[in-house]
Amino acid sequence: MIRYEFLMQIRKRSLWISTAVLAVAMVVLQGDRGPRYVPDGTPARIVMTNWAVLFGVLLPLGFGMVLADRLVRDRRLGVGRVLDSLPTGPRTLVAGKYVGSVAATAVAGLATMLVAAGFEFAARRDPALFGWAFVAFALVMLPGLLFVGAFAVVTPMLITAPLFRILFVGYWFWGNMLSPLFLPSLTGTLLTPIGDYAASWLLGETALYAGVDGILPWLRPEPGATAAAVSAGILLLFALIVVLLVGPPLYRRQQRAA
Amino acid sequence: MGRVGWVGWSAPFAAVIVAVAFAALSRATGTARPYVADVLLAGLEAFVPLAVGLVAVTTIARDVGRELHLALPRAYLVTLGRRVAVVAASGAVASIAFWLALVVTDWWSGPGPATATLVWLAPTLALTGLALLVATVSRSVVVATTTVAAMWIGQQIYAASMAASAWGRPFLLFLTSRVGVVDGWLTNRLVLSLIGLAMVTATAGLIRRRLLDEEER
Repeated sequence: MIRYEFLMQIRKRSLWISTAVLAVAMVVLQGDRGPRYVPDGTPARIVMTNWAVLFGVLLPLGFGMVLADRLVRDRRLGVGRVLDSLPTGPRTLVAGKYVGSVAATAVAGLATMLVAAGFEFAARRDPALFGWAFVAFALVMLPGLLFVGAFAVVTPMLITAPLFRILFVGYWFWGNMLSPLFLPSLTGTLLTPIGDYAASWLLGETALYAGVDGILPWLRPEPGATAAAVSAGILLLFALIVVLLVGPPLYRRQQRAA
Repeated sequence: MGRVGWVGWSAPFAAVIVAVAFAALSRATGTARPYVADVLLAGLEAFVPLAVGLVAVTTIARDVGRELHLALPRAYLVTLGRRVAVVAASGAVASIAFWLALVVTDWWSGPGPATATLVWLAPTLALTGLALLVATVSRSVVVATTTVAAMWIGQQIYAASMAASAWGRPFLLFLTSRVGVVDGWLTNRLVLSLIGLAMVTATAGLIRRRLLDEEER
């Protein structure tokens, strides 16, 4: 199940087109504070974390859009009955589809980071850039992708894919980029899937809004290694709950209605 | 109406409800009244257009009976236009009702009645036109919805920069809620409306040659 879902997703042209379009857009729009303008001699850790922060602003949008139809399409394509005949329960099926499709989507995100590392390597000649591309992707982008992916795969079974996409766009801006100093938002909390805490730890300074004052102050500790680990742990916990506990009954209901 | 589905006609109303919920949360946590009014204005100028644009894509993208429909006397383009019209009409009803509610409750902070319609109409036309055009050209719901989402969030992030520059201001979708009714506001609204209409027209011209494919493409 995981293998086939991975292969289906990684061959999906829209995954690569949307990732490329969003990555290029962020490179063009990064402004003079973006990673392209980090001074020579800056450690590879800082350079690649800055790229992860930049890509983390928009790439998850595309990931959420592309993952939103992974389970609802079974009913539409009429393959639900075939899948029901397999010796696997709904939990295994939902988890398998989640792992396979999110893994393939993660490959697109990692590829973007490696392309950025290659671009930086041409100018800085530091092989450590490639190693830090992996690390920055794993710590800054991956926990958020697992979190977003869980909701993108499961939630459309409840509210449909179009409505999920609308709410997801609004949530992404409100919960990740809207300053809590302006309006009450989840931005800057441990629940922020944009990877703010991990990035702030790697950079040694606040990347975006991690820890700034706002609602739910107990979710806004000072950035650091512990806070970054707790943030990643919470995001993973939410992803597991959604995939393993919420997903299977929704999938069963969807198959019954088919 | 039936083919559009409950999401198609209810999404703009859901956007209004989300805006009101945000405003209530802001009010409850002590946010100043002008900022709360801006949230409500953003509901009209940003949330509803986003909902209409994204739903319009899926309204025309998936059609298991397309082959059958192509054999009918009525042009397929007319059918697709009627489906988009249902979504657009729903967006218009939701917007006008929300605007009236804000005026009556004294929460309206936008322009006067003569031009208030342009607050939601211009960005709705622009985003819907973009969504339909990209969906038709790319034949992919994912690419179209991602493009609209990126445009929406990108403009939210760079709103201040766009408003400050002479070239960017006419294209800023959220000029009213992020800056106000300032110099160049009417030009901005007209430019966005014309761009939106141009993209809808281009879509109508292209759609016969590039019928949309399955969502999972």
